[in-house]
Amino acid sequence: MHEDKSITLRDEPADPQAAGGEVLYREMFRIAGNDFEHGGEAATRVKALLTQLGFPPEAIRRLSIANFEAEMNVIMYADEAQLELAVLPDAVRVTITDRGQGIPDIEWAMKEGNSTATPEMRARGFGAGLGLPNIKRNADEFSISSTVNVGTTVSYVVYANGRSGGDAR
Amino acid sequence: MIDRPHAVLTDPGKCIGCVACSQACPTKAIRVRNDLAVIDDELCIDCGTCIEACGYDAIRPRTSSPADLKKFKYTVAVPSLTLYAQFGDDVHPGRVLHGLRQLGFDETYDISWMCEMVAGATDAFLSESRGPWPKISVTCPAVLRLIQIRYPDLIPNLVPIETPRELAARLRRRRLAAELGLDPSEIGMFFITPCTAIIHSIEAPEGLEASYLDGAFAISEIYGRLLKAIRHDPGSDSTEMISHRGLRWAMAGGEISSMRNANTITVRGLRDVLYVFDRIESGTFQGLDFIEAYICPGGCVGGQLTVAGRYMAQRNIRQLTKRLGDQGAVKEEKVRSLLRDHFFDHESEIRARQVRPLARNLRQAIALKREKDALLERLPRKDCAACGAPDCETLADDIVRGNAKLADCVFIRLKELEEEQMAHQGGKDG
Repeated sequence: MHEDKSITLRDEPADPQAAGGEVLYREMFRIAGNDFEHGGEAATRVKALLTQLGFPPEAIRRLSIANFEAEMNVIMYADEAQLELAVLPDAVRVTITDRGQGIPDIEWAMKEGNSTATPEMRARGFGAGLGLPNIKRNADEFSISSTVNVGTTVSYVVYANGRSGGDAR
Repeated sequence: MIDRPHAVLTDPGKCIGCVACSQACPTKAIRVRNDLAVIDDELCIDCGTCIEACGYDAIRPRTSSPADLKKFKYTVAVPSLTLYAQFGDDVHPGRVLHGLRQLGFDETYDISWMCEMVAGATDAFLSESRGPWPKISVTCPAVLRLIQIRYPDLIPNLVPIETPRELAARLRRRRLAAELGLDPSEIGMFFITPCTAIIHSIEAPEGLEASYLDGAFAISEIYGRLLKAIRHDPGSDSTEMISHRGLRWAMAGGEISSMRNANTITVRGLRDVLYVFDRIESGTFQGLDFIEAYICPGGCVGGQLTVAGRYMAQRNIRQLTKRLGDQGAVKEEKVRSLLRDHFFDHESEIRARQVRPLARNLRQAIALKREKDALLERLPRKDCAACGAPDCETLADDIVRGNAKLADCVFIRLKELEEEQMAHQGGKDG
């Protein structure tokens, strides 16, 4: 049996309906582990899509930072992952489900500065231990669950009109 | 010529309606309609890539004409440092400046020392700034436009320091007005430019209410007459004020090489600029202090309105700075005090220029996005550009926005014709 350690960290949602709202558009992106060559491509494609859909630049900026971190996490630590983009009426939800080693101690991984990055990864500018906390910081809602030797699921929501919810678009 | 606010003009008399410019344009701003290249003002960043791509001389820069000089009581030529790089070892900057005066300018004004000043000011700014990092140079106006339309989130990263050419023009114009007893508007200041992006920055400046320059002549259009003037008159103007460090600004890498801060990089050429900016926007590169970026691969020496070509021009600048020695013309304390006095500041805010989404309303935009994806499935994905759009995806985009139709695609039309013919034949047989 796998040891199942899961933790859910959730910021106070400004609009509890937003994250669970109707999905207007859904797209899946595949991310391959160790594929540094294409690192960041999913994040770039999501950004181009949301720009076309007219999402506010500030929301796109925060989501892009989160997406890039999450994508690099998969490339550095997992075998492969699916990134699901769900466009909701006033927010975007991204869920990344990977197959891989999993995270034994999520609370430790969520602390700023903690990282298991190898020296090679650090030489490329990654592994400052900013990944997971940086995703959480840029998202309005965040949750993570992981099973060792199975994989990790990270899910986060960015509201179109900022953390406070703001006016309807 | 079709008149538009940009520095790049198409000539209907010369344009044959091929798609070379449309396919080369980095922002996909060009469509060929009725055998004529049409440039979208909203998307154009005046980088001049289309001028280089055109094999028919049908896309030209909007430059000043000699008649424009007559509108002023006193005229000043402000040469880009790239002008010095167009000549071999026998023609040093003093002779270039001397020759320029023979072309009808009352005086010339070198900006190399101002480049050194701005390098010093950038150093001082970086040491006092609190981010966001990395800071990005505003020297290349095409990079600035690209940030405004494609990377609006990076606007806070821009170094809030005016360009050497504008600072120099402002300073010289004010001094001349006082010395000559003229109104500043009676003095005409003309940049000798390596590129179209700077021409547009004079017409429609960012960070300034109005440019301190009155127009621009292309290096390529004055080169012949200038060379003749230099050969004819061996005279030389003073090179005392020329900063050897500043001269390097003509080349990509020159800006950072004249700075103290070494936690910097140079990004050359549009492809690399897009690559790096995508990543800065995603939060990487934050460990860097400063990025110098150019749309032209070699920096200003690679501008499309030059003559020597970037490789020889780079060689000429390196040879020149080597000969002159690495000597600074600027005092650091002076730069810091000018920075505190806001001498280098932008006069107005640089704002985002958001390019239109598919629709204002999210549901509508999503519906159009789906429609676009469906269209793309039907299109041949050959990106042949025969429809007038640079590639199939852009055609699909144009169609859902109501600016093109599916039958513009020659493959689709051919298929339709074949089907019609089949149906016709089938009818006859039956």
